[in-house]
Amino acid sequence: MISSNRELVDRLAAEYVLGTLRGRARRRFERWLVSPQVRVMVNDWEQRLSGLEPSLQKVTPPARVWQGIEGRLELGRSRRPAVRWLAIAASVLVVAMVGLYTLRPVPPALVATQRASIEADAQTIYWRVELLGDNQELSVRALATHPLESGKSHELWILPAQGNPVSLGLLPARGTQHLVLTAGQRAALAGAKQLAVSVEPAGGSPTGLPTGEVIHVAPLSPA
Amino acid sequence: MDRNDPLPPEIELAQLLQRCAARDPAAFRLLYDRTSPILFARLLRMLRRRSVAEEALQEVYVRIWERAAQYEIHRGRALAWMVTIARYCAIDLMRRERLTLVGDDALAEVADESTAEPGAFEKPNHFDDCIGRLSQNTQQCLTLAFVEGHSHDEIARLTSNPLGSVKSWIRRGLISLKECLSGERQTA
Repeated sequence: MISSNRELVDRLAAEYVLGTLRGRARRRFERWLVSPQVRVMVNDWEQRLSGLEPSLQKVTPPARVWQGIEGRLELGRSRRPAVRWLAIAASVLVVAMVGLYTLRPVPPALVATQRASIEADAQTIYWRVELLGDNQELSVRALATHPLESGKSHELWILPAQGNPVSLGLLPARGTQHLVLTAGQRAALAGAKQLAVSVEPAGGSPTGLPTGEVIHVAPLSPA
Repeated sequence: MDRNDPLPPEIELAQLLQRCAARDPAAFRLLYDRTSPILFARLLRMLRRRSVAEEALQEVYVRIWERAAQYEIHRGRALAWMVTIARYCAIDLMRRERLTLVGDDALAEVADESTAEPGAFEKPNHFDDCIGRLSQNTQQCLTLAFVEGHSHDEIARLTSNPLGSVKSWIRRGLISLKECLSGERQTA
């Protein structure tokens, strides 16, 4: 589909890099970036147009910018074990009170083995998905609010190497969500290269397969 | 005009990015200290408003940390790679914030080239020669789009040219530039 129209895709790649591809067209094009051929075209244009890069006098940003970055990425977390344990204790308490036994705080020992970023807009990540401890658990963090009609939910799917998509549950509108994966989900993840997000009725797909529009496809990459 | 420190060597930045990919927060802090004044200047150039540029800068470094592992497979150089992330982020913010940057103030700033610090970025071979072969109109359109982040509509208004002309200058200019750069590369 894409390769039969190389010239058009190359033109779009050029205007994407130049910045004149805007709005819906830009977002549509970004979905094609999962294709290695499209990526090569974009990289080539980035190289070509880099000659237009202006030389500017440096401007030092205020300290609050770094503080914001540090806060968003939780970089200071490992240096403040007391706060971390307090947070874990609090989440254990919340989980116990609410009675959601499927949601468990992730033990700190589990490390991320695969990652995916769900991103619709140029440089905005909506959700960061991490698979922990070789697909034993899943951690999803909402980074930006994704627009959603009322009465609808965002559902996350595994696109397995073979067969139908397998649900990973609903995506949180905000905050972080941890999930212990089932044997079925782990089997589907083995060899899977992509995750997808669809819009479903509130509470999730009634059929166990995506029923609404698939709005994102994100590659899984090793952490 | 005050001279700033010389730009950090590319190799050091590439190494810092690799350490970021290995999740080393100290390397990330160092990378931020070395490069944020460059990226902030670039974002200010496109977004004009300090508050918006600060928000964008935060987003850019979250992205850099997120994507540091992808840097290795990218063919560009470290600083160019980071500036590209900043440009895309700014374009995205412009749309979301519905910034209209084509007022008289913006025009005044567009004309201000006095703070240039030459030599920051290495151009592709024969770039100046190839860009010089394009018409003045085309060069101006490409610069307004790439450097200032203006859309087709904004460029048409800024330069008082018909939108159709702006679009076709840009489209043809990009094709000519590609042909010229690849032709020059073969004969070079």
